[in-house]
Amino acid sequence: MSKTIYQLVDELPTGGLTVMSLRALDFAVPGEWQNLVGFDNTIRAVTGETDPDLIRQIGERAIYLYNDKSQGYQTALWLYQTVDSASSALGAAALANKVGEKIPLLGFLGNITPKADKAQTIDLAVKLVVELVAFCQINGIPGDSIGDFLGALGDYSGESLMRMAALVCFDGLIPLGPDFIQMVLSKFNNMSPQELEQNQTFKGVNDLIPGGNSSGKLGFINESFSSVSGWMSDFVNSRGLTPNNVAKNLSSFIDVADDKLDYLGAFLDVSTNYYEHTGIQTLARRLIERAVAEI
Amino acid sequence: MIFRRLRRILPAFLLAVLLLVTSCRAQDTSPYAKTQQESTQRGATPAVARKAEQGSSFNKFFPKSADGYQVVAAQEKKGFAEYKLNKGGKNVAMLSINDITSTPTAKDKYQNSTEKIAGYPAAEAPGKGTGILVNNRYQVKVASRDDSFTKNDRVAWLQKFNLSGLAQLK
Repeated sequence: MSKTIYQLVDELPTGGLTVMSLRALDFAVPGEWQNLVGFDNTIRAVTGETDPDLIRQIGERAIYLYNDKSQGYQTALWLYQTVDSASSALGAAALANKVGEKIPLLGFLGNITPKADKAQTIDLAVKLVVELVAFCQINGIPGDSIGDFLGALGDYSGESLMRMAALVCFDGLIPLGPDFIQMVLSKFNNMSPQELEQNQTFKGVNDLIPGGNSSGKLGFINESFSSVSGWMSDFVNSRGLTPNNVAKNLSSFIDVADDKLDYLGAFLDVSTNYYEHTGIQTLARRLIERAVAEI
Repeated sequence: MIFRRLRRILPAFLLAVLLLVTSCRAQDTSPYAKTQQESTQRGATPAVARKAEQGSSFNKFFPKSADGYQVVAAQEKKGFAEYKLNKGGKNVAMLSINDITSTPTAKDKYQNSTEKIAGYPAAEAPGKGTGILVNNRYQVKVASRDDSFTKNDRVAWLQKFNLSGLAQLK
């Protein structure tokens, strides 16, 4: 049986590689993310409510909303989980016996393979589209979704902004370098629908990407990424983000060599699940916002 | 001979394994376990009533950005629409309209209250909110998300909704 929404939120980890990696991005989005965990705790933090009976009522309404499949919350969770290619085994292996010590990336070179640039550009663009689709599943806003999404993206905060920061840093800057936005745009301009179909990340979420056939989906991904590229570029420039300063902030717990950033990207890809982790936090927050307003 | 015995024993054995497996499954000891069970069982009441008004019908009744406050769309689902109220880039309150056809007990707090705002029954609501009930069906709420946003602010913003327009929504 799949987990209940309160189990998902109650069981969010307070430590480990995903949490450490996200904390390392605090310099990019200062104070935005506090790793809020626990279902009742999230209700208290989101609504400011302290009365236990009222907290329970809000929680019960949130559970009803989540369990009603027509409301889209379960689809959003599935998207966040599926697009994260995390293999927690490697993360656990990396942390084993490493308490208080740095994780030596060199020790893992034999176990990880950096993705080819093309695969990585598809991953980045597909993850962005998943954010768009999950956003619409959680918040509704039908119609001209890309336009509404851009308006809302400007208002992203908390764990949602942290997820976007991690997308830019861990799936863009680190594996692809400072020109990652241009790289994605040019790769997508020369891509065939067959190339897209072969990508593992795309395969996982294919059914939920708008566009009909692969050619239409390629167009949708391309259009979505182009629309958000201005926001992304502004995000990188205004915060002075570079592959090196992201790596430097991760170096408090991972021993990184500057010439091995592609390996660092591959390591983060297989050892963290930041999309799922912050996705559950976003989902819980929006569910609770709705629940408290409706009761 | 052996096969015949096996045939007799096997169903009993499988049943025993089945019972063992089901009894070993972790019990949900959460205080929410009952709600989880009720909301997922066959024939469970859907979270949103079939007859609930579309959330998109509510958009036009929300206040517009003014006086340094920005009204930003947040959620729009069947029976529900919500906007953030931001000031200086900070979220200070949430504005919402919902159709209580899906949550009929929401009415109780208005029946137990003597307060009125803009002529409609009004009451304090969970999560630092103040709500009013329009036409016995549409709940309009403003909830504080920052200490600087007081009850007076909530009452003032409730009056900025197009309440008479909402009252005419059939």
